[in-house]
Amino acid sequence: MLKCGLFFTSYNKEDQFFTSMFQKTCLGLFIGAMLIAPQVLDFYYISVMNLIMIAAIGAVSLNLLTGVCGQMSLGHGAFVGVGAYGCAILASKGLPFIICLLGGGAFAALAGMFFGIPSLRLKGIYLAISTLAAQMILEYVFLHWSALTGGANGMPVDPPSIMGFSFDSDEKMFYLIFGVTILCVLGISNIIRSRSGRAFIAIRDFYQSAENVGVNLFQFKLQAFATSSFIAGIAGGLWAYYTMYITPEQFSISLSISYLAMIIVGGMGSVTGAIFGAVFITLLPEVLNTTTSLLSSFAPDISSLMAPLKEGIFGLTLVLFLIFEPEGLVRKWKLIKAYWKLYPFAY
Amino acid sequence: MKKIIISSVVMTVMLFATAAFATIKVGLLSDLTGPTSSVGVPYAQGIKDCAAYVNANGGINGEQIELIQVDYAYNVQQALSAYKRFKSKGIVALQGWGTGDTEALVRFVSRDKIPVFSASYSPHLMDPSKAPYNFTIAPDYSTQGRAGLKYIKDTWTEKRAPRIAFVYPDKPYGHVPLPAMKEYAKELGFEVTGDETLDLKAMDATPQLLGLKKQKADFVWVGGTTPSTAVLMKDAEKLGFKGKFLVNIWGNDENLAKMAGPACEGNLGMQAAAVYGQDVPGMKIIETETKGQPQMTHYLRGFVSTMVMVEGMKKAAANGKITGENIKNALETMRDYDPMGLAPAISFYPEDHRPSMAVNVCTVKNGKLEFVQTVSLPRDAKWLGK
Repeated sequence: MLKCGLFFTSYNKEDQFFTSMFQKTCLGLFIGAMLIAPQVLDFYYISVMNLIMIAAIGAVSLNLLTGVCGQMSLGHGAFVGVGAYGCAILASKGLPFIICLLGGGAFAALAGMFFGIPSLRLKGIYLAISTLAAQMILEYVFLHWSALTGGANGMPVDPPSIMGFSFDSDEKMFYLIFGVTILCVLGISNIIRSRSGRAFIAIRDFYQSAENVGVNLFQFKLQAFATSSFIAGIAGGLWAYYTMYITPEQFSISLSISYLAMIIVGGMGSVTGAIFGAVFITLLPEVLNTTTSLLSSFAPDISSLMAPLKEGIFGLTLVLFLIFEPEGLVRKWKLIKAYWKLYPFAY
Repeated sequence: MKKIIISSVVMTVMLFATAAFATIKVGLLSDLTGPTSSVGVPYAQGIKDCAAYVNANGGINGEQIELIQVDYAYNVQQALSAYKRFKSKGIVALQGWGTGDTEALVRFVSRDKIPVFSASYSPHLMDPSKAPYNFTIAPDYSTQGRAGLKYIKDTWTEKRAPRIAFVYPDKPYGHVPLPAMKEYAKELGFEVTGDETLDLKAMDATPQLLGLKKQKADFVWVGGTTPSTAVLMKDAEKLGFKGKFLVNIWGNDENLAKMAGPACEGNLGMQAAAVYGQDVPGMKIIETETKGQPQMTHYLRGFVSTMVMVEGMKKAAANGKITGENIKNALETMRDYDPMGLAPAISFYPEDHRPSMAVNVCTVKNGKLEFVQTVSLPRDAKWLGK
């Protein structure tokens, strides 16, 4: 929705990401606040923000595949794992950080393309099962190819360093992860606006019509798998560098489900929605934990009853979102924006 | 003037009160709601009860232990943020839990110099060159397995070599001790007949048992958890499998008899702590703390884990200040610390964090877990971390 009185005088201006000065100011303030955050916040909050940003990269990448291109994936956690292991293996060879991160992404992209091949023949629930198989196969590889991945013992990863500067604390990692997150989010947003992005949307909306207007289904589906997995691999690489130790357990099916939950809660097909979802799903257990520990100081008995309810609350939240806000948090965000835009003349 | 006197008195009282309530903060990372909560809950309770016992008996040089508990539901990401929360609250030690989270935190705790006492017994966590701030009170999974094999070999009466097979989940936890156990089994003169994988959530173990029957295994090492072990034992009884099971630390406890019934009678299992009611000096304290309510052996392990941490803190306090680094250094001078018989004596060395090489062998008799014998192995350097 355009602001009242906003007129474009050139195609370039119409093509801009942020069309109004207000949007640009808000973005500038947001980036400014983020840059100051590590200097003023406790490192617990910085750590949570780091986890949120890594989750946001993963969620945005899955959103490109599932939300934008309509290709269901239950193997995204494993693609993140390929990126993490790829990155860790390259780092163990002494390669520089940027090469390792991009290399991890490239490995994940190759894995994504390979497991994306069935997408030409399969769709919906069938594709979901095929990607679930990818999850299982890749988990098996992480565990059994011990010469490369360390097997059950996992792999240590040293903190990243760029030109001798080591990112060896939460605060330093925050800036690195923030920078990569901005690049990934901008990258995906631009892909959606490009020719490929329009082809992805056409495939999602109705694949036969897309084919009729000249979209090469196989090529674009594979492209969606490759791009999405590449960004997922970048998220995996950051995770490996941040935790400094990776094991097969970290990239299980529950991670894939978690990413799916993020895009469902946030809003399928929307980059902003995927970010909202990542924030929500990462913060939910933290909020529940804080509530439980607050309650435990007043009433230990209630908190012991609350603890088993936590998993239930997580599930219930998802169900309630699906029933009452199937378009996710991003729709709520749009409604709030519309309210203020039209205020006081809502009708 | 009156106001000044009253204010001074109040200030003095507050200062003294602060000193009196000075606490040593310890993080408690628990799985209370996740997939391992059935054993995570009693283990965490053991830790809490031991801390309460220590606090009620003078604390550590008058300072109280303050446990900050977070339920991370066996999720590595949540464990990571819980750890950061603990750190921001100023913990000096951490009581951790599972393998995934303990491994994910290895390098963080080394960097922050915070000793961790976890219930993950992966062999590489016992090697200080890889995990300098990690401690456990139970020997690693490989040592436990080797001790079980030694017990079997020592009690084997037939002339032929005993045949052993391995059943485990296709997970890191199931795989970790396999190479060490197979190597030691061959060294002891076992015939290793093969492997079967059994999922932790398995509802049926018939295919695996048919394989084991074909392999004519006399003994089967089971590397799962209690539910999958119960399924295996019940199906073994149903199919007339004659071999005996040797179950790892997380697969045999007081719940096994409830789940498997008579099918688990007489099978063997490894444990690291005493069984509730066992005739050891420390049991009186446990019975008083629990008001005579029987607890699982995991509870006792949590209790001992806190006892060892407290001993490290006392030593650190005697050497100076209670900091993470001082606790670690103090623990590394610990020699044959006896946790009142609740677990075999514990020693740590700067180059070797295996707490002991002694493992308790247990069995189920008349539906109850019973202690059989403690098997001790030599502290062989070539086994460290493997």
